[in-house]
Amino acid sequence: MFSSVEAIQCGWCKAQNQPGTTTCLTCGAPLDVRDKVSDSGWREAPRLRDMTEFRFSASTCQVEGELVPVAEIALAPQDAVYFEHHVLLWKDESVPLESMRTAGGMKRTLGGMPQIVTVAHGPGRIAFSRDAAGELVVLPLHPGMELDVREHAFLLASHSIQYSFVRIKGLANLLHGGNGMFMDRFVTAQYPGLVLLHGNGNVLERTLHPGEKILVEPGGFLYKDSTVAMQAVQMALKTGMFGRHGMFLAEMTGPGRVGIQSMYVHHGTDE
Amino acid sequence: MNTYVCQYCRQPSDASQRTCPLCGAPVDIRETVSDSGWVEQPPIRDMAKLQFGQSHCQIAGTTVPVAEFNLAHAEMVYFSHHVLLWADPATRMQTMSMRGGWKRMMAGLPLIMVEAHGPGHIALSDNHPGEVIALPLQHGHSMWVKEHRFLCATGNVRYDWNSNDVWYVTGDQDEQETHYPMGQFGDVFTASDRPGLLLLHAKGNTFIRDLRQGESLLVQPSSLVYHDMSVRVHLHLEYPRNLGFAFWRSNWDYRNILVRVTGPGRVAVQSIFERPEEMEAIRNHSYATRRRW
Repeated sequence: MFSSVEAIQCGWCKAQNQPGTTTCLTCGAPLDVRDKVSDSGWREAPRLRDMTEFRFSASTCQVEGELVPVAEIALAPQDAVYFEHHVLLWKDESVPLESMRTAGGMKRTLGGMPQIVTVAHGPGRIAFSRDAAGELVVLPLHPGMELDVREHAFLLASHSIQYSFVRIKGLANLLHGGNGMFMDRFVTAQYPGLVLLHGNGNVLERTLHPGEKILVEPGGFLYKDSTVAMQAVQMALKTGMFGRHGMFLAEMTGPGRVGIQSMYVHHGTDE
Repeated sequence: MNTYVCQYCRQPSDASQRTCPLCGAPVDIRETVSDSGWVEQPPIRDMAKLQFGQSHCQIAGTTVPVAEFNLAHAEMVYFSHHVLLWADPATRMQTMSMRGGWKRMMAGLPLIMVEAHGPGHIALSDNHPGEVIALPLQHGHSMWVKEHRFLCATGNVRYDWNSNDVWYVTGDQDEQETHYPMGQFGDVFTASDRPGLLLLHAKGNTFIRDLRQGESLLVQPSSLVYHDMSVRVHLHLEYPRNLGFAFWRSNWDYRNILVRVTGPGRVAVQSIFERPEEMEAIRNHSYATRRRW
């Protein structure tokens, strides 16, 4: 065992790592580089090194590539991950697939949420990637944590994490917010787990104090702690004597983390 | 005697250079292999040069790389017209005659292929973040390439295309639709009378796997970039275990449409792929294996 004095704390997920390790075993973040924080407090999500490995439960995840990274999972026999079926890049033939029970089928259909969440069980290997240049965001969740994620942004989650969805309240959100109608919600019960997101472009995170507010372009919103309140607000913009336009932004109110992405891509292929 | 063989283009190369003069892959780096055996294609270094005949190609940029050609007299490259970035006026350009225009149009393949003849300069690029992949072809060697991955080829590389024979049909009697998850046709490039160079553009990152005789793997059809002609490909339908709930979620609703690639040979995939199409019941399909969990 290593003492807490010698241990290296990961700046991203706060996990303790053995002295001498260069990447965090829990989230894969490099431990030998300094955090990059802008003057206004936005911290860059760590860019995972090519072929970085980290663990969750008894399984491992290896990140391959840097332009559009692939998450390759070596699932242990008792482990499973779930995902939207269209992010599956390749898999071993022996990896069983199962559909996941998702509540609120009709609501999900109307809200544009994936109806089909697929579960892959170990043992075996399976790999995932998304359809735009960006980076993987590894978010280990401790028991009792709740995370809200923009719809269609999650790549996979470990089986110990409960999956549901929450409606974003307010007609303005629905019609003008650009956030979509629902968000994925990931909740840990008694066991820790792991959520992997794919952010388009670069991903930045900021921790808001209680009552602190920030306005975010709705298309750039990626994730937030469930303690952060989100609502659409309209900014009136005057153009000339008679011109008046409304711009809708997502107002985030702390406490908690907010994650944004620097590139907003429509969810669909352009080929 | 030169015994160095580039691990990416598999051709005898020059180990004293920083990059392989035939494919541009860095020579002085270790191979990056995932635990499961996928080799990551290293990006061609910015400003690396590839030699072919008396001409050369320089790769500029790393996010959406540009292939800039300095064409020697009597040498030429051909490409689909939409990838042309710039050309100097001295470069003579003309359309290339191609067979099967109607079929190509129906299949969404580029109708116009342009030849650029040296001497002159010309530059080509795709419009997606990704990598340029250079595949030197030895005399008589052929390579299957997924549609829309082709960037350009030297004049001595013969271009052909054939049916992929991976398809399925959805819809009712009156409104049937045939889907081609890896495209209706695949491009086939062959170095006919002497070695040639083939340049592809892959979206995202590229990974290569050498499949042994009989070894197979399930991959997303639209993620394929290229494979050796010895690799066999067919449709694979995989149905997750159905927990039997809501009425609209019948078995066909959450199938996975994959292809089974079987060795021997090289297969390359890219990390960006197209979303599978809307799901409807499959009425008919090409030869396929099935798995119901």
